[in-house]
Amino acid sequence: MPWPGWFGRRRDAEIDEELASHLRMAIADHLERGETPDTARRRALIECGNPTVAKEATRSVWTWTAVEQLATDLQIGARILWRAPTLSATAIVLIALVIGGNTTIFSMVHAILAKPAPGVRGDRLVTLGWVTDGAEHPGTSYRNYLDVAEASQTLTPILAAGFKRFIVTTSDGSYAVQGAMVTTNYFDTLGVRLARGRTFTAQESRLDASGLVAVISDRLWRDRFAASPDVVGQTTILNSHVTTIVGVAPPDFCGVALGERSDVWLPLVAAALIDGQAAALSDRRAAFVIVIGRLAPGVALAAARAELATIAQQLPREPGDSARSRTIQLFPYSGTAAGDSLVAQRGPWFLALFSIITALTLLIVCANVANLMLARALVRAREMAVRQSFGASRVRIIRIFAAEALAIGAAAWVAAALFASWTTRALPQLMEPLDGDSTRIAFDFTPDWAVLGYAMLLALVGTAIVSAAPAIRTCRLDLQPLLKTGEQGVIQGRSSVSNGLVVLQLAFSVLLLTTAGLAYRSLSVLTASDLGFTRDRLLLVTINTKAAAANNDANVRLLERMAEGLRALPGVTSASYARRPIQSFWSTERLGGGSGERPIVAERNEVGSGFLRTMGVTPLAGHDFDARGGDGGTAIVNQRLATRLWPGEPAVGRTLRLGASPQPLVVAGVVPNAFYSGYRREPDPNFVFVAASHALPPPDEATLYVRYSGTEEAMAPAIARTLRGVDDRAPIVYLRSIEEQLESLTWPIHALAILLAAFAVASLVIATIGQYAAVAFTMRRRIRDFGVRIALGASPADILASVVREGLRLTMAGLALGGALSLAAATGLRGMLFGVTPTDAPTYGLVFSLLAAASLVACYLPARRSARIDPMQALRQE
Amino acid sequence: MAARETARTDILQGTLDMLILQTLRWGPTHGYSIAQAIRSASNDAFRVETGSLYPALHRLAQRRLVHAEWKTSDNNQRARYYRLTAAGRRHLTREQTRWQQVVDAVHALMRPREQEG
Repeated sequence: MPWPGWFGRRRDAEIDEELASHLRMAIADHLERGETPDTARRRALIECGNPTVAKEATRSVWTWTAVEQLATDLQIGARILWRAPTLSATAIVLIALVIGGNTTIFSMVHAILAKPAPGVRGDRLVTLGWVTDGAEHPGTSYRNYLDVAEASQTLTPILAAGFKRFIVTTSDGSYAVQGAMVTTNYFDTLGVRLARGRTFTAQESRLDASGLVAVISDRLWRDRFAASPDVVGQTTILNSHVTTIVGVAPPDFCGVALGERSDVWLPLVAAALIDGQAAALSDRRAAFVIVIGRLAPGVALAAARAELATIAQQLPREPGDSARSRTIQLFPYSGTAAGDSLVAQRGPWFLALFSIITALTLLIVCANVANLMLARALVRAREMAVRQSFGASRVRIIRIFAAEALAIGAAAWVAAALFASWTTRALPQLMEPLDGDSTRIAFDFTPDWAVLGYAMLLALVGTAIVSAAPAIRTCRLDLQPLLKTGEQGVIQGRSSVSNGLVVLQLAFSVLLLTTAGLAYRSLSVLTASDLGFTRDRLLLVTINTKAAAANNDANVRLLERMAEGLRALPGVTSASYARRPIQSFWSTERLGGGSGERPIVAERNEVGSGFLRTMGVTPLAGHDFDARGGDGGTAIVNQRLATRLWPGEPAVGRTLRLGASPQPLVVAGVVPNAFYSGYRREPDPNFVFVAASHALPPPDEATLYVRYSGTEEAMAPAIARTLRGVDDRAPIVYLRSIEEQLESLTWPIHALAILLAAFAVASLVIATIGQYAAVAFTMRRRIRDFGVRIALGASPADILASVVREGLRLTMAGLALGGALSLAAATGLRGMLFGVTPTDAPTYGLVFSLLAAASLVACYLPARRSARIDPMQALRQE
Repeated sequence: MAARETARTDILQGTLDMLILQTLRWGPTHGYSIAQAIRSASNDAFRVETGSLYPALHRLAQRRLVHAEWKTSDNNQRARYYRLTAAGRRHLTREQTRWQQVVDAVHALMRPREQEG
């Protein structure tokens, strides 16, 4: 006994001696009665009972038996593990893989869905979601915010924020920055303490455009103000208004939302005024702010929900507002749920889904490991029977198994922690997202206490499952036959359960692999697909004209001048502009005038002269917009729309009406069907282009399209110079190639594919090892059977074939089940697939052959070993 | 197996402790003679196995109701002698009283009904 050391050992010796003296006296008594020494000894032994039990029971009076036995058990456990290194390593790797993987996923989901944005104190913050007639909106109007803020007792303080790009002009030029227009209690509500200067005062909520104040980000302070210590009090130009900087935000704070990255914060009313949104301040329908509040001390979320539901119904209405019902929903705030009630609402749902998947994988992996342990338990069944017959209680036997599992669990947990800390660092780089200005969203995946606790829980559950199976099995065994017949006598049953697990695991792998495969296929089809226009050497330059143009007219004149300037640049073959860049949707517009049952809807963009030429599209009929003018009141439609409106008739010269506009447009040209707004899932969008010179988009962001020859590296600086030369008050928001722009559209599906692929590979490994364990288990059971068959003349090849055949039966079942599951899942995910049907044959073919090959290997290895056994040895095994 | 064992000691435990203490009232002695004394005093009804006797003895020693020391016996054998302590004596008295109450109560319950009235 290793513990509690010398003292325990002396007590042991004493007990031994005491029991021995008892026995001696008993024998002496019997001898006195005239019995022979043999009989006397036997009778005395029977009288005294089992000495081991007596000794254990007496010892247990004195020692801290539980602790001591645990130490012993652990030692036994470790010894057992050490004696079977391959098995132990397999078990540890399996559990580490699943715990590590699940911890990674959990920490990602946790980071994305539950953590506050950096720098924000997130406790008791809630996001308000606005529901009108069942439709959810993340934002509301400033007027509504004011009413809610005034009425609510449960949410204090409560903030509103709107997001906008602003143009900052300093001595070294103008540039666009992301900014937020916020209520003056913004920083206090979020628990953000400024690094320098002060936050806004209550008086500043009533500022007009003069005497404007702003708080700037740490990044802006370093980049544009050279981290000047006396920046507070300096002035700068914001959207051509003189603004005093009153504070600098702390380095980590970039706004309430994870992807926001604001660089400047302005008092809301003043910001709306300089942004030309004065009307929006008093319009209840102008939803441009999100609202976040902090629960007042002692107020439960349910109470706040009830209060806001009442407030929502009492909100005054704009005349003509026909909404029947109006409610406000409250969600716990997080960096992704800031102002986005959809994410906030679906967040817990996603978490639940992930938890189910996680629990399922954990269960399957643990079952696999338990299977491995079971195969070992079989070998040790006799050992356990002997232990029991020597007086070890069942509890003790179970504890030995538990100790073994605990040793595995501990080792696996360490491995899992290392694995997870690596993946949480590596994964964000793998799925680098692009946001508006090509900066990476700062996902914080570093595990926190919630994540660590989660990992511990997983390890605990895993250990429990792994130790329970063999222990239960041992305890259910009847001792007698086991002791009599040895190993072969008890090998029975249980295989149907382990086979079922193998099938389940295989099915699961199929599901993950096909989903990942479909996502990848979809991605490759997507990037290879013909959009209908020329993608080669096309640059998109998004600029902001707010500071440079006073009105819509000046805006269009400026854009035309810029396109003109670019055309004059050597290397530029053509240039034009559009109100919106290539993005997943342009604004949609109902086409009036149709007699139609169903309204015809088209995506609309205002474009400059020469737009079609720059896109590399030749009109099928009519002509491009040109700079000579005379485009007033004309539109260009794609062929599908033309056919839809005027089937079988020439479209050029016909008129159509857009939306509520009373003025009809004359069709000037018809262009081929192409995906002008980028990748699309539905195959047949309608497009209508309106001449910017006619529709006059307001000063804001616009995108110049530049077709060039030569290299992008040479072109980009020349473009920037030219645009600054035309008007340096219109900063470039970003410049990117069309490929980059298209890539940003496919990023979500790309990230999903990577994630699924990682999951799928892990699942494949787990499935293969699981099947290996099950087949190896079966092999052990049937080793005598094989011996008999070989002795009767079966060749090793026969044995091999029969084993592999049996293994592959499981594979078939798994593949069939997995195939069905995948079909169901892929049909559900149809919306995310592009150009690939849910029954894509190459994907399924590849997945099936991959899994078949893997399980062939998993069956072959143990089968080969059993085919090689010596029949004599197998038969002699008892 | 564990379950059976517990059931047996549960029934015996309280009584066994009392029987041991009662035996030790007649003077210090070793485990074997305690077992023999209980056996003969009960007319062979109670056979105490070592698996019950020694745990009970050691438990009593732990609770300082008995004191144990190694001595050489009459026929020159080394044995561990147990002696009743003052606390043990008090405990025995209390236990006997309690036992008597239990016996009386059980007896009253088991008495034929017609004798009640």
